[in-house]
Formats: sequence, C-alpha cells, structure tokens
Amino acid sequence: MKKIDIEQLKKIVGAKNISDKIADLYVYGADASVHQAMAGVIVRPKTINEVQKIMRYANKNKIPVVPRGAGSGTSGHTVPIDGGIILDMKRMNHIIDISPQDMLVRVEPGVVDDDLNRALKPLGLFYPPAPASSRIATIGGEIAANASGVRSVKYGATRDYVYGMKVVMANGDLVNLGSNTRVHSSGYQLERLIVGSEGTLGVVVEATMGIRPLPKFRCLAVANFDKLEDAGNAISEIITSGCEPSMLELMDKIGIVAVNKALNLGLPEVGAIVMFEADGNVKEAVDYEIEKMKKICQNHNGSGIKKSYDLAERTKLFSGRKKLFAALSRYKEGIICTDLADDMGVPNSKIAEAAAKIHEIAKRNNVIMAVYGHCGSGVIHTKIMLDPKKKSQWKDAENVIDELYDYIHSVGGVTSAEHGIGLSKAPSWKKARPDMIPVMRKVKRALDPNNILNPHKIMDAPDDWVGATKLRYKVG
Amino acid sequence: MGIIGRLFYTKDKGKFKRSKKWEGELNKCIRCGYCYELCPLFKSNNWESDTPRGKLLLIYGMINNEIEPSQEIVDKIFQCFYCKNCSDNCSAGVPITEILSDARADLIEQGFEVEGTTVKIDEDLCSVCGICVPLCKYEALTIEPTEKDKEKIVVDKVECRGCGLCVSACPSGAITQKEGCEVTIPELHDRVKEIIKQEGKKLVVFACNWSMFPGLQLSESPTLVKTPYGIIVSMCSGRVAPELILNAFQEGAWGVLVAGCPPEECDHDGNYKTRRRLVLLRNILKELNIDSKRIKLEWFSTKESAKLQSVINDFMKELDKMGPIKKIEVSKKIGG
Repeated sequence: MKKIDIEQLKKIVGAKNISDKIADLYVYGADASVHQAMAGVIVRPKTINEVQKIMRYANKNKIPVVPRGAGSGTSGHTVPIDGGIILDMKRMNHIIDISPQDMLVRVEPGVVDDDLNRALKPLGLFYPPAPASSRIATIGGEIAANASGVRSVKYGATRDYVYGMKVVMANGDLVNLGSNTRVHSSGYQLERLIVGSEGTLGVVVEATMGIRPLPKFRCLAVANFDKLEDAGNAISEIITSGCEPSMLELMDKIGIVAVNKALNLGLPEVGAIVMFEADGNVKEAVDYEIEKMKKICQNHNGSGIKKSYDLAERTKLFSGRKKLFAALSRYKEGIICTDLADDMGVPNSKIAEAAAKIHEIAKRNNVIMAVYGHCGSGVIHTKIMLDPKKKSQWKDAENVIDELYDYIHSVGGVTSAEHGIGLSKAPSWKKARPDMIPVMRKVKRALDPNNILNPHKIMDAPDDWVGATKLRYKVG
Repeated sequence: MGIIGRLFYTKDKGKFKRSKKWEGELNKCIRCGYCYELCPLFKSNNWESDTPRGKLLLIYGMINNEIEPSQEIVDKIFQCFYCKNCSDNCSAGVPITEILSDARADLIEQGFEVEGTTVKIDEDLCSVCGICVPLCKYEALTIEPTEKDKEKIVVDKVECRGCGLCVSACPSGAITQKEGCEVTIPELHDRVKEIIKQEGKKLVVFACNWSMFPGLQLSESPTLVKTPYGIIVSMCSGRVAPELILNAFQEGAWGVLVAGCPPEECDHDGNYKTRRRLVLLRNILKELNIDSKRIKLEWFSTKESAKLQSVINDFMKELDKMGPIKKIEVSKKIGG
C-alpha cells in the first residue's frame, strides 16, 4: 500500500479508524479457514458516505477492497489474497428500525445476529436464519455468504429474509435494491444477486430484512442410534413424511466423542444422535409433530429418546451440538480440525449414503472426518482432521476433497450449502459448475470492471487451494 | 524496539522459549472467533487485534518468524484483563490466558517496554505506603529497595491482571492505567454522563466484567426498545469507586446498582471491598439527605442475566416510588 493512499483514506475515516500496523494487517489477514494473507490497510467506515468515498478512491486507483464482517468465514472469503483494503464493516452496527407493524427490520451491515435477536425478543419477534456463529456473525457477512443455520429446515436461509438493501457499487454509486415487502415483481431481483456474492459485487451498507413472530412453544428431542445409517434414514423419512421440524440435526460418533472430551458432557457414545425440534403456538400441535418424529426414529432403531419444552433443559440438550465445531479439535492429540469440505448440500434421499461415504473416503485417505449438520435441510457438515505438520497430510486432504466432491456432485449435491465458496472450495466448485463460470464473470465485469471487489475469489480463485495463500499452519 | 534492541532481537531471533511450547495448542484454535463476543476489550475498541483470537494469531506469527515482534504487537499482547471469559468458554479448550502470560514473559525478556492494561506507578506521587501490596491477589506489587537507600513499589507486568483494584485504593492517586480501554475512572465518569444524558434513563448499573459481561450487547439498539437503565461494565465490582456513584447521583441518576460476583466467586476479592465501601457511602448519603436505598449491591454468578433483569425491574419499581433526587436540596446541604 502506498503511503499516499493511506493518507487519503485517513482523510475519509479519520486517523482512529485506519491502521497499517503489522499487528492489524496480520490479524485481519485471517479468518476461520486454513488461509492466511497480509492486507495492505484496514479501514473502518461508519457511514454510507464514507463507504462511497472509499470505493470511489479505490476504484480510481485500482486498489482491491475486501469487505469484512466478523471474519468467521470458513473458506477464506475475506482473506485478502491481493492485499489492498480490508473494509471492516463492524462499526456500522446500528439497528436502524424495527417495524413490528410491517414485520421487518432495517439494519446496518455490522449488526451482530444475536444482538438483533436480543432487540427483537422483548417484542415477541425473531430473525430466523441464525448460523452457529450468530454470537459474532454480522448481518452483512450473513448476506454475503447466504448463511443459514439449525432452523433452516423450517425457516430457510438469509436469502428468504432479504427484502431490500442499499449497496455501494465498485465505482462508489449507491443503489437501492428490492422492496419493503415480502414479495416484489419490480425488475431484476438484484438484492438476491448480492446474497451469496461474497463481497465480489458490491458493499452492502443497509439491509431490510423480514422477521417472524416468536413461537410460543418449542420442544426439542434427542434420539440415540447405534448405526449412523439408521439415523440418516430416520432424517430422510421425517422430511418426506410431512412432518414440520423446526430443527433436525445429526451428530456422528466422532462428533460425540469430541464434545465429550472437550466439554465433559457425558453423552452416550453411540453411532449417531439425531436432534429434532418442533415449534408453534398450539402445544398439542407441537406435541403431535414431536410424537410423529419420535415414532419415525423408533422405527429406525432410535432409542433413549428425551424431550423437553424447558429453555434451560433444551439448551443443555443442544450444547454438545452447538459447540461441536470447535470441540472437534480435541478429538485426538496431535491432530487438529481444519475447515475444509465443511458444508456440502445433499438431496434428502442421499443423507445416509453420503454420511457413510464420507467416513469411507476419510479412512482411505488417512484422515478423520466427523459427520454432522442440519441434515433436515440437506446440509452435511464435516471437518478434515489431520496432522498439520505433515506435508503428506495436506496431500491426503486434497485427495479427500477431490473424491468427496466428485461423489457429492454425482448425486446432485452442491459444493457449499451455507458457508460459501471463497478460496478453499473454489477448485471443486469450478469443476462442478463450468457452465456458470463465464456467466458469473460477465456479471462481475459489468458491475466491477476494474476487478477491485474481493478479487480472485469463487470463480476467479486459484485452481490449487493449498497454494492459493500461505497456509495458517506451519507445515514440515 | 530501539536499534540496540533490534540487534539483540536479530541475534536471538525466534527466542520464544515459553511461547513455543504452545504451538500445538495454537493449532488447536480453529479461529472460529466466538471469543469476540466475550472480550471486553473488543467491545470497547472494536479492533480484531484486541480479541483473544487476534492475540493468539500474533503469538503464532511471532513464534514462527512470520512477523517480527514490535512495540505495536507488544502493546496488543499486554492489553488483557484476564477475565478469562475466552479461555473458560473456548470449545476447543485452548488455554488462551496461559499462552498470553508466557508470551508476555518472553517479550519482557526481549527487552520491550510494556504497558497495555497493566498498572503504572508515578514515583513522584507514591509515598510507598504499601496499601496496594496486600490488596493484589496476584502478588504483582512488591516493595523493593532502590539505589538511594529508599524503597519503591514495583509492578510485575506479567502477573498484573489489570483489575484496577489498586488504582481505586491508592490514597495518593499514584497508580494509573492507560486510557483507551474504558476502564479508568475518568472514562467511567464519561460513560455515566453519556447514559444519564439519554432520555428516560434513571438507573446506572455497574456490572462486573467477570460475571455479567457476556450477555451484553455489541450492536447499537434502536430507540424503540428504550430502557430506563444503562449498564456500564466496570471490570471488577471492587473497581467501582465511591466517587463514581456520587458522580452518577450528581448527574441526575435516581439510583445506582452495583452487580458483583457472589462472595467466594470473585477472582480478586473485590466484591468484599465494594461491600465495605458501600456501607460507608450509604452513611455519607444520609448526610446528603439522599435515601441510602438508592444504592443497591447484588451478587450475580455467571450466566445469571435473567436474575440481573429481575433485580433491575424490582429496583426500578422502588426508584419510581422514590422519584428523582431533589438536586437543589442536595446542593444546599453540601454547601452548608
């Protein structure tokens, strides 16, 4: 970064909100992925006007700009592969308006998901698409990744709640997209184009999102299965049998052992656990759903079924699943949990088969993989657990990823269901969707002709994910 | 680092003998960033380099020679209140604060000047009365002889947790902490003023960072969900100096609630000190013709935010009955 650029940017946001100190450049060059790169400067705007000025300056001087929320992405979305400006959006954190009469909220992009829900709760409302990282994830980041979470099986993903948004384009122009209504048919649905664009098409500076009334009753139940296959089949049947779960989660034995080790939860170390929840305003209706799902689980050899309406009890039942992602690091000494191949989507009928296939591929390639996730909506989470110091293990990880995604795509699944493509999933995604690449490049060129917005990600990311950036681990 | 320090560093490059043993643990950190929510420094500064994840990244970078230790990195590593919200809640079980302490020791050994959130003693103001020494549970303060046959108080910068108990206890105001992390008394005064200035605010709540912090918000809420109270995170409840409470009344607060950890649960024994201080302060309030019930001290364990809410609600009902403090009468009393 040139000194003069930093001076000019300083004039826009003030000296307190810009940093080119190594401490910041290094920290902002990482996220939850395996990647690490060095930014040129960190800039923290507070207003739409500041974002516009920054973008005008960057566009004129062809400086890359990477918008960033909490940096909780798992695939290197915000890792500044070409250096440049990290646009830290966390200072734009106002909940501008909550409108219960219109059932929507207007928020700045840096608002934290859990904070929004804390503000909505006293009004009997909630914003449903909460990813596991909702305690830090920003709405802007969730839009960029089209995030979803444990309740997506009933409530859908971020895209289903984005009514409208204000976006600063690459050249600094401000555009209003979408509407204030749940549906609209007024021109291209460009707000939907921005959802999942991973900061490559524009900077979201305000979002109008739909909200829902909080259900009066929530009941969570847990069933144990000796065989992972039985658990997978139970999930598939719950979905096809007309049940309406508000959550339907799977956790395999590797996950159970890991949370027991890390958190001392004392969960039964069975083949798999299925968690299912129903919600609603009529208790009998919720009971009906839970009983129906319970029977399906029992038909597939599910046992030891516990259920609860009580919040504290539900939180306890769910705590293992909630903390699983990080706890996997504790599965075995000497191996660590990497965020690779972490969120494929598979058709409902293939859940049991995919779960078995993941274990088989992992075993064949000398790595360990846990299978868990929001399987009710087709999301299978895995993590590749390996010894990061061994070079051969990275080759193993590459082989796993090649084999696994070939399988997932062959059964009609997708590369990423809710975390996005970024860097580490780009080679597999590109292989599966060659027809989309030229179309996406045309869109990108039309909106960002100088290729400054989060360049070299998704369709333009390097073909070799291991060498795309420095790895965060010291290998060898 | 100066020129000599730089030469020294080059000679001993990679000398992070304490921190290096944590490399395996640093790899276990999956960098999920969930610790952001729990970090009081991040909530006041909003720079990711102030978060536990940020600090672990910097330590990892230094021990692997990816980044060179520098004063700016050292400043970040020495900014931590050791509330341990991060390490206690890390699902990957990474002992974050232990790693941090070892990195601090390594950096001190490399000759860096350190301050961060640790306390500093102004030797001109300090009378070496020694009140602060037994107060520090971490034995970070010691009386040591100086060259001139005199004594001075020395701060162990690795052990100092930045709780600030000694700051509020020092009778000559010789112990200070750097401004900028929203924990110094002038900064807390400003927060009180900010809260009372807002429409409809009647109650100031001083919440202990250790037990009450995680449930508090990062985003700015809309005016729609107005509350009659404002919460200030004051680190340890023992940090709530009587002048802060009097200042709140002077600014127009109807009441003050101090939320501390239950006896036996406070890491610093600050809650006992607050209890004693508040007994004395209540007597002073009587003299000022202010109902002593306008100050409330309650204990809360971690994750008792529901209890906090109900205590606030009950206290607000009492305060609504009492109404505002009649300022004129108070000032008359103070005057004479």
